[in-house]
This record gives sequence, structure tokens and C-alpha cells, in this order.
Amino acid sequence: MSLRVLNPNAEVLNKSAALHMNINAAKGLQDVLKTNLGPKGTIKMLVGGAGDIKLTKDGNTLLKEMQIQNPTAIMIARTAVAQDDTSGDGTTSTVLFIGELMKQSERCIDEGTHPRFLVDGFDVAKRATLEFLEKFKTSVVMGDEPDREILKMIARTTLRTKLYEGLADQLTDIVVNAVLCIRKPDEPIDLFMVEIMHMRHKFDVDTRLVEGLVLDHGSRHPDMKRRAENCYILTCNVSLEYEKSEINAGFFYSNAEQREKMVAAERRQVDERVKRIIELKNKVCAGNDKNFVVINQKGIDPPSLDLLARAGIIGLRRAKRRNMERLVLACGGEAVDSVDDLTEDCLGWAGLVYEHTLGEEKYTFIENVKNPRSCTILIKGPNDHTIAQIKDAVRDGLRSVKNTVEDEAVVLGAGAFEVAAKKHLIDNVKKTVKGRAQLGMEAFADALLVIPKTLAENSGLDTQDVIVSLQNEHDRGLVVGLNHHSGEPIDPQMEGIFDNYSVKRQIINSGPIIASQLLLVDEVIRAGRNMRKPT
Amino acid sequence: MREAVTVQVGGFANYVGSHFWNFQDELLGLADDPDADPVFKNDALDMDVLYRSGEMHQGIPTYCPRLVSVGSRGSLGSLSSSGNLGQTSASADQLNVATWQVYKIACANGSGSVTRSVSKPHGRNLFLQSLVEEGQNPSTSNGASNSQKSVEDKDLIDCLENGVNFWTDYSKVQYHPQSLYELHGSWTDFDKFDNYGSAQEVVSDWSQIEEMNERLRFFVEECDHIQGIQFIVDDSGGFSSVAAQFLENIADDYTNTPVLLYCVRDPMTLGSSRRNQRVSIMRALHDAVSFSKLSSFCNLMVPIGPPSLSRSYMSSYLYIQDEKPFHASAVCAAAIHSITVPFRLQRTGPSSDLAHSSGNLDIGELLHILSDQGRQNMVTALDVAMPAPSLTDRDAMGNIEMKLHSLTPEISDEDEDPYSVESLVDFHITSERLVYEARETKPKFSHLSASLCPLPVPLPFPSIFRGNIGRHGEILSDHAEESQPKGSLDIESIPMAARLRSSSAVLPFIERRSGSLQKHGVARGAIGSLVLRDWGFGREEVEDMAEHLAKLLGPFHPEMDLTSDSD
Repeated sequence: MSLRVLNPNAEVLNKSAALHMNINAAKGLQDVLKTNLGPKGTIKMLVGGAGDIKLTKDGNTLLKEMQIQNPTAIMIARTAVAQDDTSGDGTTSTVLFIGELMKQSERCIDEGTHPRFLVDGFDVAKRATLEFLEKFKTSVVMGDEPDREILKMIARTTLRTKLYEGLADQLTDIVVNAVLCIRKPDEPIDLFMVEIMHMRHKFDVDTRLVEGLVLDHGSRHPDMKRRAENCYILTCNVSLEYEKSEINAGFFYSNAEQREKMVAAERRQVDERVKRIIELKNKVCAGNDKNFVVINQKGIDPPSLDLLARAGIIGLRRAKRRNMERLVLACGGEAVDSVDDLTEDCLGWAGLVYEHTLGEEKYTFIENVKNPRSCTILIKGPNDHTIAQIKDAVRDGLRSVKNTVEDEAVVLGAGAFEVAAKKHLIDNVKKTVKGRAQLGMEAFADALLVIPKTLAENSGLDTQDVIVSLQNEHDRGLVVGLNHHSGEPIDPQMEGIFDNYSVKRQIINSGPIIASQLLLVDEVIRAGRNMRKPT
Repeated sequence: MREAVTVQVGGFANYVGSHFWNFQDELLGLADDPDADPVFKNDALDMDVLYRSGEMHQGIPTYCPRLVSVGSRGSLGSLSSSGNLGQTSASADQLNVATWQVYKIACANGSGSVTRSVSKPHGRNLFLQSLVEEGQNPSTSNGASNSQKSVEDKDLIDCLENGVNFWTDYSKVQYHPQSLYELHGSWTDFDKFDNYGSAQEVVSDWSQIEEMNERLRFFVEECDHIQGIQFIVDDSGGFSSVAAQFLENIADDYTNTPVLLYCVRDPMTLGSSRRNQRVSIMRALHDAVSFSKLSSFCNLMVPIGPPSLSRSYMSSYLYIQDEKPFHASAVCAAAIHSITVPFRLQRTGPSSDLAHSSGNLDIGELLHILSDQGRQNMVTALDVAMPAPSLTDRDAMGNIEMKLHSLTPEISDEDEDPYSVESLVDFHITSERLVYEARETKPKFSHLSASLCPLPVPLPFPSIFRGNIGRHGEILSDHAEESQPKGSLDIESIPMAARLRSSSAVLPFIERRSGSLQKHGVARGAIGSLVLRDWGFGREEVEDMAEHLAKLLGPFHPEMDLTSDSD
């Protein structure tokens, strides 16, 4: 009441109307995303005001592109995107699961059940399902040499839901190798150490993994080599351009000659730094055919470039800040902030450095490095939307491999887990729950089936047929999933269909929480807007 | 040559920028045009400072602004975010296919059904269509069809006067694919993007901020000697938070590169804010916070945007409709163009010919002159005379001082500050005069840049001139009172004068912001502290900001002890 008194303009939507608004919003969002789940899901085409096109079936991208105005839908979308932020996948599944929970609850509520009982049931069911997940998961021992096959299966499962099969299989190797490349034992994996670079060039199947680094700029001097082998790499953050030392300092001079002198003195400092680098080059490259590359985070002005070029050094300026870190991991050596005490130990090494020019864009490849701890996935594609699609997929693929390495566990996919969990809930857990909370638990168990159901639907199969045959197999004690080509039950382990453990856990954790909260809403109050009338 | 990179952030900033680049484009066009006035042909203005040359994939050379423009999603209208370089007309025709922009899940009604609203693609207006056609058959613009063409031009101007919905609607410049960036706050409502806190979601998304940095890096990397970055921001809403984040990164990455910041504002955003107490407190806090944040990461700040241009002094020559950002931004852009002229003047060696211009200055030097000498004040006022009185006229001599009117809001009128430092730019001066004769208190230091080249009026410039302006911007004394405002068809060029002034005149501007932060944010039990917390500022951060503002006030009160200004 107090709120209404405070703001007489606030509009109120109460009791069942509020609940139904929430349920409908959840169902609406589910309807939009449901066709995009799984490898057979269809694609959505987003067209901007100026006609630019984006093709995607990635739930995360879709939710971010959509203009959602309904507050309930926004809440669900936020949960789903948070899911993506923490575990990298499962956005669509989250939305579907929440939508289905709401749909199942609606049935009970229409029959007169109080939402509170449903929420209690959800809570019990959630805990039971999480316990079951612990038992159900397949442990993978990572150790020093992770099992490449299982990682590939995980990556393939993820990528195939985003891209067509041929490309997905090609990317599988790239993604797994990239993660294994940057992995350090006993340290969390930092995916930023995988650079993702794209070129609008050739075809999507030309996408490859570069063990080393690709920089999106080239040298700015005509005399520098475009290709060099056996290179020392100096990674530095030293200004090699003439600039006023401090913004507050000015020149005070009384004649032109004096001014020239001052300028020359300032210039000398820069030249001094360049000379230090050249000295080092002469020291390490004397008497052999090795080359020297300087990659600087700060600028290098033309006179300095000229000095470097005359000494046979390749110089790149204004490298990305993050690339400084990657360079050191890829090539070795260390990033230096001053040129005062340069030694050979500061230098990294690369077998091949070359420049590739595409129109006005230049790319510098640093390849054949020893023991790379950083690498680049070079995405190629004929047009922007292909590149964007691959980029999203690669990102998710990397995340799923990372999750597996860190979880040391996977979960059988293709809907096997959901069917097994439902059976577990109905057969074992339901008896332990007393009273009407059973209804909530049942709703939860039914809602779990939304994943296999949608998979079947998107493959053009009969949903009920599929569910019944899956449940029959499970009743016989076999763990099976759905073969989306034939509709027959299959063993996901044999087919190599695995999902991330952490993704599944996150879905089961966050879905019921948000659904419970939405169910318990009895009033929607929004300042200045009438909720009951269409706006 | 010393390159400058331009950054535009926010809605109105892009409106201003669009006019700004139209001027540059017009200057480039006139320099090549054999029929044009010879003043445009001298090469005193070095366009390479602002422009970069490159080539497309097909090997066709291009000449584009060195620009990063950040706007909200959908603010580009019919322009694709990958720029309009190499866009064929075939792709333009495809626009007619019915497209939907995005799904909208808007179920505000009780039934809560999902509606997929199909938004019409933004068609090109008449002006943009004519540009495309011109690109296809350039032969039509010869003398024979001249009479017919001017009729057509009239239609184009009318079309722009009546409906400019996006800043791209009147832009005739080709942008590089890296230049245009659309922010997509996933669920940020850009219609309500009106305070500092509303951009939280956008700013916390590191990938977007990083993308903006990447694009800037692209342009900076190819500069041999960058002289500075000029940054135009629309600080009336959430974009000031985006800009602050961007500026912070610039300060980190390009430590010694000077940043010149123009804070532009649509006159409408200031006018209608007196609704209720809560809203006005929010506005006051927004002004204070964004001023404090923006000023801490730039070297010189120029607030532009008087509450109402239509009622200002300039209205005797200009007819401006405040409600049209198309109009107001034109004046701001003209002023910014004038300020940037010295950055582009050729360096005058002893042997060079001084007939064209004098007073070259680069961004760093300008900032040094204005903010480091006298008192260390980094907030300057911008004054502009549009059109500037002609100095050939003996009677008008010394008048220029009187004709300069401020575009900076909330500054005091009295300008008798013995410590003031200023930089005056004047173009279309034909003879050198002492400008300061009429002044009682001379500024401590004054720099004068002059160029022969007036401001060309491009075709898509709004019709804002009153009847008493002549063809070349001269002020006609014996004109018949006309009701019809003159536009780009009647007026070819306008002499301009602009001045940046660092003096105590800006004191009220800073004081007000500092005061409102103290009153609403820092003071115990202040109403605004809750708002600030919503925007993600902790108590200590607010105190830091207040201190920063107090520090900005410091130079004006040399007698005040520096330790006592924290409360």
C-alpha cells in the first residue's frame, strides 16, 4: 500500500494477472529460442536498419541482439547470459528450462495449487538432481597429458550446435590444440592467451591455428624485410618517437639556432635508445644469419624506423597491450620497459616472421616458435557474417574445452542425462517427499525433458515417440540418448556426445531459482506505466 | 605533417561531427574544383592532418577521415556500420526487401504475448539518394543541366530541413569501415540513456570497450607523428560514462598524446529539465559527475552548448530552431572547425609566403598555451563570431572582440581577468590588424592564427542564416527584411572567428558542478547519495570526485590554502 501512496502514478498488476504475465513472458522467450537448440536447430537471421545481416543460432548472441522490453523476459535473459559468462555455453538450454518449468507450473496453478508448494518441490528436486549429477558424470583424469579424444568429443558436441558439420569438425582440432597449447599444469587456463584474429579472405575452411602470433599491423618502412627466418624477437614498451618529455615543460629559446639545438638534444635521447637496440642486434646477430625483430607497444617515428631499417631490424609499432603478454608466452624472452640493460636473455625467438598484405590491411605472422604458450586462431571467411558466426562458435568451443580440463568430468549428452534424471526423481526421490510438494517435483521432472523433446522436434521427429522410446530404454537400465538422424536411442558414449559438467550444473542450479522467484511474484508495480493496457 | 585523430562519442557529438566532416569534404571538393574561388585553392590547409589515404581490397584508393565514431545501436540510420566505402548501388537496392531489425519482446499487456515487431528498414532520404546517383553518373553535373539541378538542390535542402532523423542523413563523407562503431547495450534502453549511471552495463562489457580501443589503435598506429586526439563527446547522457572509460584507456595507452575534449550538448536536453526535484537532482549530479570524470582524463576541456541558440546574441544573424539538432549542431561544428584550423596550417618557415595564413599551432602547443600558462586551468570557454565582421572595413576594426559570443554555458559575462590566456582564430582576414585595441584589460598571453580561407557552406548545411547575410558572409546593412532564412544555395562561404579563452569566466561553470556534488552527493544525508550508489560509486569515489572538482577551482583562488579545500 505504501508504494501506491508514494507514487500515485504507479500502476499495479496483481495476483493471477502478474503470475500469468511472468509465465507468458517465459514461454514467449522459450518459443523464440526453441528452434535453435542442438545440431539440427535452425538459424535466425538478424537484419539491421541499414541492411547488415547476421546469421546465428547461438543463444547468447540472439539474446544480446534482441530488444527485450518485458521485465520478466529481461530477468530470464540476464540469467541466461550470466550462464554464458560463467560457463560459456548453455544459454538456450537455460531459457528453455526456465520456460518449461513455468509452463509445467502453470498447469498445476490452474488446478488450484499454491505456488509455494511448487517452489518447495523445485527446491527438493533441484538438490536431488544435483546429487544425481555427481553420480552420473563421467570422470576424466587430466593429469599431465590430457585425453585428447575426450576433449575433441566435447568440443565437437559444442561446435556442431553452432556450425555445419564439416566446419565444426575442422574447428574441433583447432580449438583443442589451442587450449592444450596455453595450458599450464596446476594453473587456471587464461583464454585471453589465445588470440582470435580474423581476415576477410579465402573461405571458412581456411581457418587455421597459428602456433605463434598474428599481429594486425606491419612494419611502416619500405626497406624493412617482409619475410625473415630465424628471428630474435625483442618485445618492448619504450617510446621510440620524438615527443616533448612532459606536457608542462616548454622550450625557452631566444633565437632559431638555439631552438634547433634544443630539438636536436631531445632527438638525441630517442636516437640513443634506438642505438642501444641496434647494439644488441649487432651483438647477437654477428657472424650468423639470424634476424632481429622489434615489437614495440609505443610508437616508433620515421627517423627511428630509418635507423632500425638501416641496421636490418624489422620494427613494429603500437602493438596491442595484450599482445605484449602473448608475445612473451609465444616466443619466450621478456617484455622490457627500458633499453638500459638489454641482454640476450630478454629476447624471444621465432623461426619465421612474415608479412601478409590484404588491401590496405597488413598482418604480421610470427610462427615456428619453440614451446609456444600462446597461439592464434586465424579465422578466415569470405564475408563478415561468416566470420562473426565462426568467431562466436570458436569462443564457445574454447570455453567448453577449458571447462572440461578444469572440471575433470563430462556428462553424457544427447538428452541422456535429462531422461535419467527424470527417472531418478520419479522412481527414487518422489517417495521421500511428503505432501503437495510432490507436484512441484513432478513439474520439475517433466520440465527436464524439454531438452530431448526440443532436440527431437528440431530434427523433425515425433516428440512423443522419441520420449517414450527413450524412457523405455532407461527403464531397462540402459543409459541412452537421442540419435537425431534416425530418432532411435543411441549410446552417447559410443557416439562421443558429451556435455560440460559445469554447464549442466549451472543450468540446474540457476533455472529453478529464477523460476521460483517468478512464481512467487504476486504483484507487479511499475511507476508511470499501465501494465494492463497495451502500450 | 602532424596527424590528429578524431573521436566522436554520443548522439549529438555525431551530429556535430557529421557537419564537421561535411565542411572538410567541401574544402577538399573546392580545392579540386576549377570554378571555385581561388582562396580555397591555396594549399595552406593540410587535409592529411585529419584524413588518411588508403586503398580498398579492389585497389581503389580512398581518402577517409581518421575518425572513430561511437553511437548507440540504430543511430546510424541507413548507413551500414561497416562504412559506405565501396558500397555499390546494388546493395542499396536490396534495402527494399522487408527486413526486421530485431525481435522485440514487448508484452506489457496482461496477456503477455510475444510480439515480433517488424521495423521498417530506414530508407535513404532524397539527399543520400542523390549522392548515390551522382556517384554513378558524374557526367550529369555539367553546365547544361545546371538550371535543372538547382531546382533539384532546393528539394534536397527542403528534405533535410524537414526530416533529419539520423546524423547520417546529411553526411556526404565516406567513412572507413573501422570508423563507425555501434554500442549495443543488451538491455540498455537507449531512449533512456540520459544519465551517467545508465551506461553501466555498456561500460562493464569489456569486449565493447576493447573494440573501441582497437579501432582507435588502428588509426593511431599508422600515424608517424600524432599531434593529438580531438575528442567530441555528447556529455548530456550515458555516453559521458562511455567516453570517460574510453578516455581513461587513451590516457593509459598513449601517455604523451595530448587530448582535446569538446563536450557538446543538444540545447534541448538542458531546457526541459525542470520537472521535479528528483529529476533536477539527477541532472545536477550527472553534470557534476560527468564533468569530474571527463576532465580527469583529458588535457583541455571545452564545454559547448548554450541553453538556447535561438535566443542568444547570435540570433541577429542566425535563425536557429533549437528543437532541431540538425541546426544547433551546425553552429557547434562551425566553431570546432574554426578551432582546428591552426592544427592544419602549414608550418611557416622563414622563407614561406605569409600571404595565406599565419599562426600555425598544433594541439599540444594549444593545450600548453591555454592550460599551462598563467593559472593552471584546463577548462576553457569557446567564443565564436559567425559570421565574423570583415576587417577590411575600417569602422568595424576592433569590433571582432565585441562580436564574439560564447558557446559555453553558465559562464560569467564579465571578462576582465588579468590572467586570462587565449587563442583566437580568424579566417578570411584580408589585412592584419591589432585586434585588442579596444580592450581595457589585455589578456596575459594571446595567440592569433589567421587564414584566408573562409568556412565553405556545403549543400547539406541547414538554412540558418538571416536575410542580412550576403553571398560571401558579409553583413549587409541595407537589406530588406526577409522572413525566409538563407541556406547553402544563397550563401557560399562564411568568415568565422573563434576564440578559446582560459579565464575566470568559466568559474561559475565549475563552481556550480562542484557545489551540486557537495550538496547532493557528499553532504551527510544528501538525497543524491542514493542515486550515486545506484550509478556504482562508493562513498570514497564520490569524495575523490569532489576533491578533483575542488582542485580545478584551485587556480582561481590562489589565496586559498590547498589543504583546506577538501571540505
